[in-house]
Amino acid sequence: MIEARALSKRFGDKLAVDQLSFTVKPGQVTGFLGPNGAGKSTTMRMIVGLDRPTAGVATVNGRAYRDHTAPLRQVGALLEAKSVHKGRTARSHLLALAQTHGIPASRVDEVLAMVGLESAARRRAGGFSLGMGQRLGIAAALLGDPAAVILDEPVNGLDPDGVLWIRNLLKGLAAEGRTVLVSSHLMSEMAVTAEHLVIIGRGRLLADTTVDELIARVAVGTVLVRTPEATALRDVLAAGRATVTSAEPGLLQVSGASAAQIGDLARRHAIALHELTPRRASLEEAYMDLTREAVEFQ
Amino acid sequence: MITFPRVVRAEWTKLVSLRSTWITLGAAAVLAVGLAGVIGYGVHHAVEGGDPPPALSEAVGAAFLPIDFFVLVFGVFGVLQMTGEYGSGLIRATLTAVPRRWPVAAAKAVVQVAVTLPVMAATALGSFLVCQAFLGDDGASLGDRGVPGAIVGAAFSPVLVGLIGLGVGTAVRHTAGAITTLVAALFIIPVLLGPALPGDMEKDVMKYVPTVAGQAMYSIGGGGQPFETLSPGASAAVMVGWVALLLAGGVALLLRRDA
Repeated sequence: MIEARALSKRFGDKLAVDQLSFTVKPGQVTGFLGPNGAGKSTTMRMIVGLDRPTAGVATVNGRAYRDHTAPLRQVGALLEAKSVHKGRTARSHLLALAQTHGIPASRVDEVLAMVGLESAARRRAGGFSLGMGQRLGIAAALLGDPAAVILDEPVNGLDPDGVLWIRNLLKGLAAEGRTVLVSSHLMSEMAVTAEHLVIIGRGRLLADTTVDELIARVAVGTVLVRTPEATALRDVLAAGRATVTSAEPGLLQVSGASAAQIGDLARRHAIALHELTPRRASLEEAYMDLTREAVEFQ
Repeated sequence: MITFPRVVRAEWTKLVSLRSTWITLGAAAVLAVGLAGVIGYGVHHAVEGGDPPPALSEAVGAAFLPIDFFVLVFGVFGVLQMTGEYGSGLIRATLTAVPRRWPVAAAKAVVQVAVTLPVMAATALGSFLVCQAFLGDDGASLGDRGVPGAIVGAAFSPVLVGLIGLGVGTAVRHTAGAITTLVAALFIIPVLLGPALPGDMEKDVMKYVPTVAGQAMYSIGGGGQPFETLSPGASAAVMVGWVALLLAGGVALLLRRDA
């Protein structure tokens, strides 16, 4: 469980995080979304005590991160891809971090295997690719077998295999009952990974909601209808309460009527339909709506 | 659970797992001893050419002349222990593992002394023996008054300068800036400070400057400095004071700042 209460951070005259409150629950993947510069990284850095909040508190399992006697067992964090000295081997890097907590060397080998870096364990990290660096960072995050995991943009710059690997890893960690907070500026990525979403813009909370709720909240569903008798159908629909627009000949976009209603109506008037597609508003659209509003309110 | 001995162990792993640690310290030790030999040979040659044989303080000073400059290697080594972590981004992983932060700086100091002191002990003894071997009968011997103390001083002085470097690196964080600060403090300020101060103040102030106090730790009878120095013991105390001040300052900033 990760909690932020009225968390604020000011850099000079810029308020990077503004009175932010949210709770990240265990057992599910929580996506932390916002446009670039929204304050996601700063918030994550405050959670693990790297940045000091100007106001408010962040707690992990009921305590400030730095007040835990074994913080790596509470939270594993991947904040920036390469937090590694180039001249040190992957194994030495992890071993030094493990030793601060008395974590045995066998656990180092275990996490190296988990992220698929066994064969590179004794290579110096300076020669690692972006993907390998990311895997090493995740190995470091998992060292303490932590109750919560915080990952800042973990899929940035990864190839499709790497993206899929991270997605499955996150879901697996959540299924084990851990708290998982993962940031991204891409809704498309979160749509397939996260169940819960915390969305911020300009340092402020825009939404703290589930993926399904978010769609329902923003979406007014439309139905796409393809018919050779577009004019006739349009007249019939317009006689009801539906709104009809047309982007191209033979294609109607209908709102205010369900696909079933449109189908029944067409049959009653003997109008042929070639396509009848209900369209849900995508998460991407819902997200754009939210963040656009945030900009307008400024 | 985090304990201080565990943080020390982690810092030990970091230090010994870098190839540059051994290259830097090994090269410095070999060069210092080698140069001490070259200087001993040069002095011996001059005596054979008719120069008066060196006094005890000069014979000891010849052996440790390279160390006057190699303190900079140890100072930079200390700087890099901290700025290397900021430069690579490792500091974020380090401070996330040890969020109380001060144990990291303290452990680095402990580990740095544990590695540099044996290297310097061997270097100081080696420099003395090699230099005196070239000087032959004109040289000093281990039994001469003040010699064992000078060797101990020559071993500790660069180690303390290394800790000053660690303090500067912790405070400044950026490698280039920290090294510039260190060079200015060790080599530029002492040169400019003397002429800048009025006569009797120079006498009172110069002996507390780190470079002067550091060299006085391994000099016999002031080592021919143009100004008054403290005794080796008192100079060591002054150096420890500088180390404590700079490390405390560095740690205070480390605790306060965002990483």
